[in-house]
Amino acid sequence: MKDQFPILQRQVNGKPLVYLDNAATTQKPQSVIDAMNNYYCSYNANVHRAVHTLAGEATEAYEECRLLLKLRYNAERVIITSGTTESINLVAHAWARSNLVDGDVIVLTEMEHHSDIVPWQLLAQSIAVELRFVPIKDSGLDLEAYKVALDGAKLVCVTHASNVLGTRNPVEEIIKLAKAEGAKVLLDSAQAVPHEIIDFGELGADFMAFSAHKMCGPTGIGALLVKPETFTEMEVFMGGGDMIEEVTLEGSTFQLDEHRFEAGTPRIAEGIGWAAAIKWLDGIDLGAHHKRILKLAKTTSDFLLKKGMKIHSPLNDGDGAIISFNHPTIHPEDFARLLDAQGIAVRTGHHCAQPLMNILGVSGTIRASFYIYNDEDDVRAFITAVNRVLEVLE
Amino acid sequence: MSWNPALQEIIDEFVDIDDQFEKLEVLIEFADQVNHLPLEEWSDDNLVKGCQSIAHLQVEIREGTIFLMAAADAKLVQGLQGILTVAVQGLSPQNALELTPDFAVEMGLLNTLTPSRSNGFRNMFDTIQTKIKEMI
Repeated sequence: MKDQFPILQRQVNGKPLVYLDNAATTQKPQSVIDAMNNYYCSYNANVHRAVHTLAGEATEAYEECRLLLKLRYNAERVIITSGTTESINLVAHAWARSNLVDGDVIVLTEMEHHSDIVPWQLLAQSIAVELRFVPIKDSGLDLEAYKVALDGAKLVCVTHASNVLGTRNPVEEIIKLAKAEGAKVLLDSAQAVPHEIIDFGELGADFMAFSAHKMCGPTGIGALLVKPETFTEMEVFMGGGDMIEEVTLEGSTFQLDEHRFEAGTPRIAEGIGWAAAIKWLDGIDLGAHHKRILKLAKTTSDFLLKKGMKIHSPLNDGDGAIISFNHPTIHPEDFARLLDAQGIAVRTGHHCAQPLMNILGVSGTIRASFYIYNDEDDVRAFITAVNRVLEVLE
Repeated sequence: MSWNPALQEIIDEFVDIDDQFEKLEVLIEFADQVNHLPLEEWSDDNLVKGCQSIAHLQVEIREGTIFLMAAADAKLVQGLQGILTVAVQGLSPQNALELTPDFAVEMGLLNTLTPSRSNGFRNMFDTIQTKIKEMI
């Protein structure tokens, strides 16, 4: 599979690149690069308005992205955004501001990415909503505490899979419990969509946010899936081109479909690239690949454990193929730079989840995250590189 | 740009090393060049903001030249602090302000000079010059 990814052919610091920072962003297959390049070379035009040929071709190709997303995730409403962060902020502005009042409760978790914490803290500055955080227990969520936190909740925001731990949360049960309480549910699925095909219609969540670049697509584009009845409760947020029906000096009317929430010229090349990524992913057995890379991650984790590292990731069946770890004495930044010197790309730091870092009792971790193009050779190279780091720094 | 002879010697030493891992091993040894800032003197005032690691820098002007004390929890950052010490210590404030951070790229230690959360060297370099400007 690696031969379909041009970047995986390059060397870094004189060594073959071993890319293990997939939870940050994934690499792009040639077909995605070609699709975006072809748009700019052959039919670059703005979409939705003009009657000329290029505009028609561009509109067709761009809107194919939305159609493919609807089919892949069984969703009736797909709002195209700049990514997970904008999707969550859109829920905060377009739904929460007009549907929540002082005293309402939003349930979050200690496992959330900053993108699913900060928008709610900002909301709490203008509406006196109460933010309740479900604690972590054994690398997962404390579901008993969640049940207690649900009392009177109007909205539950939960990460589908943790970007730090890889933990895949039991969102099916979380949604069922939230619905019994009458609460809306927002899933941050940024780390889940790369690894599983999700039936949004069947799940019953109200919102699902994710990004293209975590699933072989381009950066700068993502989606918010919305349940139809919840979609009708959303108020217009950003105004401008593309979202209007008619504008007069006295006032404006707005489109009724998803375009209502997509002001301005959209990310056309990125939408076309994402469509190509979805088609590429449709051609592979995601479930089988996920099992394979989870096994690679477990092999790697077992090695790190034997070398005395603290492993934070549970790596249970269904979890993301993510290993967050710390050495007892070596600083994560030293570790990562010495790995980079050997061609290995991993991530260090707080991973935009500082509250979780505080709970783990560390300022940051080293994170190796696998994706479908990683193989046994990568694990071998990683192990060799780690041994060399330990020889120098231990 | 021409550097002081001691810094030029270090640049030449790093340029001669092809292997990036070996470069970093040598960088770690430069931690010995640091005038260690004792833990009890670590403060928000000398904390270098924006680094992944904890890094402290205290810049003083002693008898008209720069004197640097530093500490960090990451060994490579300590090494960078050692190189910064060689680069600025003993210079007049004016000469230290004329220094550009390009030498780290010339050594092959950095792939970017763009300030960011991952560029501890740039944050430390900028901090030193900011502190000097505040003192003169």
